[in-house]
Amino acid sequence: MTRVLVTGASTPVGIALTHALLESPLVDCVLAVAADPRPDSFARVAGSRLVYRVVDLTRARALHDLLFREGNDLGVEVIVHNALHRSAWDEGPRIHALNVETTRDLLGTAERHPSIRRFVFRSASAVYHVDPRRSTLLSEDDPLELDPRAPQKVRDRVEADLTVCTRMGMSRLEIVVLRCAELLAARVGSQLYDYFASRVCLRPLGFDPMLNLLSLEDLTHALCLATLGRGSGVFNIPGADTLPLSRAIELWGRTEIPAPGPLLAPLYRWRARVRGMDFRYDLNRRRFHSSAVLDGRRALRELGYRPVHPLRWPAGGLD
Amino acid sequence: MRLRRQLKQAWIRAFCSAEERAALARLEYRDAGHGYDALGFDPESFAVALAACRLAYERYFRVTSSGAHHIPTRGPAILAANHSGLLPIDGAMIVADIARHTSPPRVARVIGDVFIPLMPWVGTIFSRIGVVSGSPGNFRHLLEGGDIVLVFPEGTPGIGKGFRKRYELQEFRVGHAELALRYRVPVVPVAVVGAEEAWPEIGRIDAFQPFGAPFLPIPATPLPLPVRFHIHYGEPLDLAAEFGDAADDPALVAEAALLVKGAVQTLLERGLSQRKGLFS
Repeated sequence: MTRVLVTGASTPVGIALTHALLESPLVDCVLAVAADPRPDSFARVAGSRLVYRVVDLTRARALHDLLFREGNDLGVEVIVHNALHRSAWDEGPRIHALNVETTRDLLGTAERHPSIRRFVFRSASAVYHVDPRRSTLLSEDDPLELDPRAPQKVRDRVEADLTVCTRMGMSRLEIVVLRCAELLAARVGSQLYDYFASRVCLRPLGFDPMLNLLSLEDLTHALCLATLGRGSGVFNIPGADTLPLSRAIELWGRTEIPAPGPLLAPLYRWRARVRGMDFRYDLNRRRFHSSAVLDGRRALRELGYRPVHPLRWPAGGLD
Repeated sequence: MRLRRQLKQAWIRAFCSAEERAALARLEYRDAGHGYDALGFDPESFAVALAACRLAYERYFRVTSSGAHHIPTRGPAILAANHSGLLPIDGAMIVADIARHTSPPRVARVIGDVFIPLMPWVGTIFSRIGVVSGSPGNFRHLLEGGDIVLVFPEGTPGIGKGFRKRYELQEFRVGHAELALRYRVPVVPVAVVGAEEAWPEIGRIDAFQPFGAPFLPIPATPLPLPVRFHIHYGEPLDLAAEFGDAADDPALVAEAALLVKGAVQTLLERGLSQRKGLFS
């Protein structure tokens, strides 16, 4: 029986994962940690199998006490780190602290912890450098986006991913990094979800790249497999939906207007200012011009993960 | 998008017989969930392209082919052909010929140059009809998936060699030989006779490199000439049987590529000697 600590437990992914773990006969209890108050959906969980704690993980002392107090009491064995800042426009040291420093601290503290043996980190496909001259299918060995001009959201994700990867093989922990395709859902920081919020979606003229999108069910399943599995590694987690951008716009019931690429960044920046939307074209420029599909063969081979839950289009019901 | 799909359907109905439509409906590809494969191939766009090529194949270039029984009906294979022309007409005619001579029709996935995806519209259209950019990852994915892959080992120097050097094979790149050895797949040599005279080039501008293309060719004629194309398929080469497990031996890989080049050269010479004239 496994005892699991889940960070970011108040997010849609954290909630779904916590419920999925609690449904598993292999999980004894879950220590759910978030910066927000306990979500309503946890109210129906009975007994002592779920312990919910509000903790600011950017504070090293709070993080240490969480692991060496509640973590010790419960005998936590696995950490699933899922707490990353979601907004693309928020930048600065506070965001960096949550995205990167917390990841580093959590991993470092877990290595000293007597009962923790496994660390699962939810990374994202945004860490890859999309280049049309390379393979359309991105394997785990493909280059990462190390462009210093990339937005902080991308740079932080790459840094956090590398921070975890560099400990692999040197740490006594089993470390698993899941580079997940974009989860198309509300309140998860999905750029495409916000892109589809407009009735009219502008896409670069002459380009219609292939996208790969992940459903919450598949992501939860992949996280459960990684939590309850053995061994270390970096794994791509693709979704069941691989389709061109134009088809995705159509399935969402939106109107597409192709526009010259150089106009899109200023237009979407203006839209973000006026309407407060989170979508950043500069964050998505490469993948709106070039196809990038995650190659999930390693996850299939070693974790037994296969995407089987396609999205229900439109995946949000925004209107 | 919906209008585009309706236009495609109308086009297919107009230019394909009921028999051809039934054959195209049996086209085998790996649907990644929405009617496209992971690399962007769309069977409907492929059918539209085949229908569009029909006039060129049957009436303009009056393509004849021999040795089509050498094209594997199942499983992965690499087809290695000579290359020429300002536009990849040779590639289009080979793809159309393979679809006509296999049942169910097989899609030859053409390995294009890496600058193709950078080109607006061209990159998208090519990916929908099965062309993939020539990266080792894409090549591997296709072979592991059991596709037949059409390569032009001469690469860009093949299309830029000029009219005076027609049918003189340029240096073969070795990537196809390495992958054939690694995945133990047969290599079918292909010779296209006619294509190298179809659209002569009188010069090129090396300084102008649109979207990463190596040069801008200057054609001698505004349209390709109606030269007759003859496609010859040779007996499949089993490089793995010849060279063993040599995918990581550069010398043996280069030797394997030379073997393929020799087979294409032999086919070309035979095809040229059998040809009665440029237009017949």
